[in-house]
This record gives sequence, C-alpha cells and structure tokens, in this order.
Amino acid sequence: MNALRRHRVLEAIWGAPKGWRGTVVSVNHSDIGKRFVIAAFAFFAIGGVLAMMIRAQLATPGSAFVGPDIYNQLFTMHGSIMMFLFAIPMFEGLALYMLPKLLGSRDMAFPRLSAYGWWCYLFGGTILIASMVFGVAPDGGWFMYTPLSSKAYTPGINADVWLLGITFVEISAISAAIEITVSVLKLRAPGMRLDRMPLFAWYLLITALMMIVAFPPLILGSILLEVERAFDWPFFDPARGGSPLLWQHLFWLFGHPEVYIIFLPAAGVISTVLPVLARTRILGYGWIVAALLSLAFLSFGLWVHHMFATGIPHMALGFFSAASALVALPTAVQVFAWIGTLWNGRPELKLPMLYLLGFFVIFVIGGMTGVMLAMVPFDLQAHDTHFVVAHLHYVLIGGFVFPMMAGAYYWLPHFTGHTRDELLGKASFWLIFVGFNVTFFMMHLTGLLGMRRRVHAYPEEAGWTLLNLVSSVGSFVMAFGFALFAIDVALHVHYARRRRRNPWTAGTLEWAMPIPTPAYNIASLPTVSDREPLASSPDLATSLARGEGYLGEPRHGWRETMAVETTSGAIDHVVVLPGNTRLPIVTAIVTGCFFLCLLAGQYWLSLVPVAAVVALGLRWAWVLDWHQDIGPLPIGRGQTAPMHREAAGPPGWWGSTFLLVADGTALASLLFGYAFLWVIAPNWPPPERIEGGLMSGVLAAVSAAAGSLLARRCLTDGAKGLSGPARRIALAGVAAHLVTVLALATLGVTALPAPQEHAYAACSWALLAYALLHATIALLCLAFGCARIVAGQVSPQRTLELRVARLFSDYSAATLAIVLACLLAPSVMS
Amino acid sequence: MLWRISAGLILWAFGFSLLYALQGTGCAQGWDEVAFAWTTMLRAILVTTWLLLVAASFALLRLVRAASSDFEKRVTTATTLAGALALLVTGSPVALVSACT
Repeated sequence: MNALRRHRVLEAIWGAPKGWRGTVVSVNHSDIGKRFVIAAFAFFAIGGVLAMMIRAQLATPGSAFVGPDIYNQLFTMHGSIMMFLFAIPMFEGLALYMLPKLLGSRDMAFPRLSAYGWWCYLFGGTILIASMVFGVAPDGGWFMYTPLSSKAYTPGINADVWLLGITFVEISAISAAIEITVSVLKLRAPGMRLDRMPLFAWYLLITALMMIVAFPPLILGSILLEVERAFDWPFFDPARGGSPLLWQHLFWLFGHPEVYIIFLPAAGVISTVLPVLARTRILGYGWIVAALLSLAFLSFGLWVHHMFATGIPHMALGFFSAASALVALPTAVQVFAWIGTLWNGRPELKLPMLYLLGFFVIFVIGGMTGVMLAMVPFDLQAHDTHFVVAHLHYVLIGGFVFPMMAGAYYWLPHFTGHTRDELLGKASFWLIFVGFNVTFFMMHLTGLLGMRRRVHAYPEEAGWTLLNLVSSVGSFVMAFGFALFAIDVALHVHYARRRRRNPWTAGTLEWAMPIPTPAYNIASLPTVSDREPLASSPDLATSLARGEGYLGEPRHGWRETMAVETTSGAIDHVVVLPGNTRLPIVTAIVTGCFFLCLLAGQYWLSLVPVAAVVALGLRWAWVLDWHQDIGPLPIGRGQTAPMHREAAGPPGWWGSTFLLVADGTALASLLFGYAFLWVIAPNWPPPERIEGGLMSGVLAAVSAAAGSLLARRCLTDGAKGLSGPARRIALAGVAAHLVTVLALATLGVTALPAPQEHAYAACSWALLAYALLHATIALLCLAFGCARIVAGQVSPQRTLELRVARLFSDYSAATLAIVLACLLAPSVMS
Repeated sequence: MLWRISAGLILWAFGFSLLYALQGTGCAQGWDEVAFAWTTMLRAILVTTWLLLVAASFALLRLVRAASSDFEKRVTTATTLAGALALLVTGSPVALVSACT
C-alpha cells in the first residue's frame, strides 16, 4: 500500500462525515479538542466583557453604570466563567488535541467520553450564560460562601444555577481527567518509557491526577448545598449543627489545587516551547518532574490559607502558612530550569518567546505577592482587598494566559497548516502586556489603601479615584490587545500562506505528522528511543508516512492504536477504539435534562432522565461487543500483540480504577465533613441519634461481602470458560447486592432521625445514600456481566466486564463497611 | 515506579492530614488542658507524632536503592527529600505556637 492510498483508507476510518451529522457524531480527539479551545475562548470573551463592565463601574466614585444587584452578578459570573468555563476547558482542549500527537498515538483512550465531556461542557456553560440573559445569574461570588448562598439569603434560583451548572460542567472535567491519565499511562508510542515522555505529558498526567482528587470535594460540596437548599438538610446551618466553614473547607480543598491545576498545563507549554525557541534541550528534566510532583502534593496543603481570617487556632494557621510559603520552592526550581535553558541555548525572540518573557515578569511578581499573602499577619491586613484581586490575576493571567498565548502562536501552524508574519501578534502582545500591568498593578495600591473586593461603589474622599481610573483605562487597553489577537488568529486561519511540516525544527512527535493533521494523526506509529524523536531521527516523518512503523496496514475499518506497559513503554496490546456515534450527545442531552429538572424543582420528574442515563450507559458499554476471540494480531515489523479485550490491563479497566479513585475522594470528603461537624460545629451532640438498625446494618454488610465474593468467583469461572456456573454465580451476586440495597433502605427508614432535624442526621442520610448508590451500581455491573455471559461475549480471554464488576463490587463492600461503622458506632458505643 | 517516586510526598500528605486532624480533635476533646510531663497531653502527642513522621520520611530514602534507572533514582531522591523537609517545616508549628487559641 503506498502512502497516498494509506492516507485515504485511514482518513475514511478515522474521519467524520461532513456537515452537521459529522459535528454531532464525531468522537475524534482533534475535532473535540478544537471545539473545546474555540468554545473556551468564546467564554473568555464573555468573561472579558463582564470584566470591562466591572472596570467601567469602578472607574469613577459612586458610579451609576450598574446597580449593586447587577454588579453582584457581574463579578460572580466573571470569576465563574474564567475559572470553570475558560481556564480548565482551554487546557482540556489543548490536552485532547495535542496529547495523542505528542505521545505518538492516534487518539485518546476513551473517545466517546471526550465527546460526552464536550457536550456536557457546552450545555452546562450555556445554562450559566442563559441565566445571565434572564437576569437570574449567580450573585454570591465565585466561591458561593454560605450562609449568603443558603436559601434564607438567596431565595431565588441564582445559587442553584451555579451549583447545578458548575456540577454539570465538572462532569466534563472529571471525564477529561480520567481520559488524560489513562491515555498518558497506556496509549504511548512503543518504546516511550516514562522518562522518555515529553515533559508536557508529565505535566498533563500530574494535572489530571490532581483533578481526579481535587474536583470531588467541590462536586460533593455543591451537592450538599443544593440538597440543603432544596430539601432543608442543614449541612451548613449552625443553628442545627451545621457550619458555614464546612463549605469553605470543601470549596478550597478544590479551590487551591485548582490554581495549580490551571498553572501546571501552562507550565507544560513553557517547558515544551521554550527549549525549541532557545534552540537547545530542556535543562533538568528529572528535577522538573520531581518539582512538579512536589508542587502537586504541596498544593493540597494550602487550602486553609484562604480561611486565615475565620478564627482558626494559631497552630493550624502555622501548618498552612508554612506549606503556602514552601510551595514557592518547587515553582522556583522550574523557573530556574527555564532560565538555565535560556542561558544554555541561543534564544530567538519570536512571538511565542515574547509571551514567555511576559510570563516571567508577571508570574514572578504574582509569586512574590503570593508569599506575602501566605504570611498570616500580612494576610489579615490585606484579606478581601483589591491586593488579593491583583495577586490572583498576576498568578492566573501571568501563569496561564501568557504561556497559553505562547502555545497558541507556537502550535497555530499545527492547527491550520499556515504561518503569517508576526507584526499584528507583536502589537497585540504589547497591548496586553502593558494593559495588564496598568490594570492590575494599580490594584495592589488600591488594596493596600483599603479598597475592599466586590464593592460596587466607593466614596470620592477615599482617595482611590485616580488609581481606579488608570486601572480601568488599562483594562480597556488589554481588551483591545485580546481583540487584536482574535483578529490575528482569524487572519492566520483564512489568509496566511501554507507552511511546511515542523516550522520550528522541534524534536517532539506532534511535528512528525502533516499539518494540518489528518484525522488519524500518523500513518504508522514510531518506536521511540529518545525524548526528542525527531531530533535523533530527522527522516522519521517520511518513514512513518510510508507505513514503516507499527499498525501501518489498516484492516477491517478498525480504529487501531498501540498500548504500552506503563513504565517501560514495551508493547502491551492493540487498542481498537469505538467509532463515530450519537451516544455522547444523546447522553449529554439527557444528563442536561436531569439538571434542568432539578433547577425547575421537579425532583420526581428528574428520576426519568436518571433512568434514561442508566439505560444509555448500559447501551454505551453493550455496543462494544466482541463475539469471538481474535488472538494475537500482527502489528508490523514482524511482531504481534493481543487486542485490548484480550489483554490484562486494557484502558477500560484503568479508567474504571481512576473513576473509583475520584469516587473514593468524594467519600473521604464526606467523611471529613461528618468528622468536622462532629468536632467543630456548634449545637452538638445532636438531640436524637440513630436508634437500632444493627440487624439491618449487619445484613447489609454481610450481603455486600457476599456480593463481592460472588463477583470474584464469577470472574474466576468466567476466566476458566465455565459460562454456566459463571452466569448462575453472577445472578446470585445480583441477588446479594439487591439484599444490600433493601437492607440499607430499611436501616434508613427505621433507625435514622429525619434529615432536616440536625446536621448529624443529614450527614448520616448522605452517607447512607452514598452506600445505597454504590450497592446499586455494583448490582448493575454484575447484572451487565451476567447478560454478557448469556450473550456469549465472555471467554477465558475476554473477561473485562467481569473484572470491572468485581472492582465495583469490592469497592461497594469496602465503602459500605466504612459507612456502617460511621453510622452505627455512635449507637453501639453509647 | 510511580509509587516509588511519590512515596515521600504521599507520606507528607498523610502526616500533614494526621497532624491537622490530631490538633482539631485534641482541642475539641480538651487534651490541651491535661498536663503531661513538662507540657500538655496534646502537645506531647503532636510533637511525638511529628518526630516519628519526620524520621519515617527520612527512612524512606532507602527506596532509592530499589530504583532501576538514574532518572528514577534522581527523582525518588528529590521527592523523598522534598517530602521529608516539607514534613519538618509544615509540622514545626506543633512545637512552636499555641495549639487551640
């Protein structure tokens, strides 16, 4: 097969139909990645317009441009859009588009999940923007502190829009995190050991793992607050044993790692772009990996520094103040590695480099003010002033927007296949750089002079007028810069000249493919023996196009790519990915209906979309059917490898495992909340505790353990090819899980006090609901496994569904034991 | 490998959470008002826990021996030392400042 014929065949396999049908059914990572990037930029523009309205309001004292009610919506939506609808999705889009190309793969591990995440993001974001149009946008600040966001003080649906809309969008974040993690760990080119991975992949892997742990506390907190608002369960009401501080803990458990979740991908862009423009290799690869690992962990020990002013004891303040200062060290290691790389090389002052230099200036200033705010005495003075606003914009715009702009100009030729001169780009850089510093440097000063955040007006005699006016003028200059950037990109897409492959003479694999990239990325997959494969093999691109790598011969219309052993990069198996389908958009629409039902207060009606989502989920898994064993497949170069369904660790198993890690973090957060309220909150002990329920609890625990053991036995029999016994055992397992569900329901109804009475009862019901949900999921997984056996789709080689069912049964039994211990201990010990 | 290069930092995360939980629980239970040797029971528990955690985190440096490549050795050494030093610094308030006020 010649190169042109190969291209046509692969394009037919991996591409999507033209027009609307293609838009709806495409699951290709390049399509989804580009959509994320474009939509995120559109939301950035909306957030930017809101920011200009805020600055217009604050330009003069006592301004009547907007009233306080609208102003509250403006700053709340500005923060929420920038954090949830711009920064995270922008990095997700870049990751989805770029990661397979950097790793020498043809797609991400779960293409349908990418597409589902995209539609959830689009629909969730649309709900939030629509609320603004209808005048019911969230108005309690982007961190939605209780009691302001509780029903008593926000009786309308403004807070519900935030809680439900953001949770809807977060589905896409968790999807992307699992997708990125599994893709980096498994879907790399053969030979790409972990220490040969491009640094960008390390950054994305660690960011994705952080998301898996950081987002569940926010999702849990949002669910608890929504339940409090909807059903009066008093998690955050101090009069009934709740605490507003619990919300702050749950929010900032997410919120501070979030800052690094935003920064790290941008730092990955720097570590990728800077050495290329410095015409050298990155200095201190291993030190950077160590630094970003340290940064990831330490970033989880900072959350209380947002709560220094809440009256926490000195010792706890000391823990978090020390961690907040310490986190500057791994950041500094990276900054010094970048400076060393520049020093080591022969830097060219191309447009991306200009943005990187801008990053250095702005981010270092932001880091310095961050260390100032980490010191408790200073923080108590500057807390909730415009100094904090200045700091966070220096860190987030300096640490995210500038590197991403560098990345945008660096990779634009990859997206479009075009290049153009840099004049307009340089003009936009200077407008943004100067406008940014004029806007936000002034805020340090107004903050130090005592100007509070979130005030819609200030008196003339406060002495802040000139500084605010200059700041507002700067913001408009910056906005012109971003508008110029958008125009420059549009010209680049439509009017620039075609460009050859690899215009920067870079060494990473994304430049080994034609630009713009075909749907399948590369005609055959390389063997990697260097961190910069193109630098060590300049003819690699041609050789791969000729089909001289792995999987160079398309077959059966399969979307094939290679999976490797996690650490060594040795060939593990061939993954056959699912093709285009409407399932992701249909599932996202039904998921959206669930959130809209809740928003409309139609709680019983919301059970309909829940049932539909379950049915679609089963359909989602069912269509990946495989009726016979395939055996080892030829992969080129005289080698063979098993197909993923016959391999020991296919992506589906890894994805389920990381989903359970996120799930476990949600449970840990709930347990933390329960313990926190028990120890810290006022009005404890509760007036009424659990009474009885021991027998139901023991029955639930025993049946869950039996379900887990039966799932294991079912897998053992399935792996031996004993389909009859495996089916019967799976049915017995389903029955055991059903008993668990019934026993838990009985425990709740007969022994627990009403959830509205006290936070103790509310937490107990929440824990019970968690256990009940997971027993139901385990039941469904095992029932699905049973159906697979009946349909003849399980063999000694093909046991994936049974392994996943075992995983969920084990998880359900283990978490049930923890939940029951928490529920029953008070009554047993009293 | 991923476990090995993260072990020191995982221990830091565990130790940091443990110290914070012990401080909160101890204050709620009034352990800071119970005299113990030359100090209070809460401080004795916290300082002992902290020192044990720091010792354990330095002991984790033995993991470096099991590393299979120079890259893994370098990263494991750096992250284990980072975890140990972080425990030393972020746990130091247990010996330096008031526990419950």
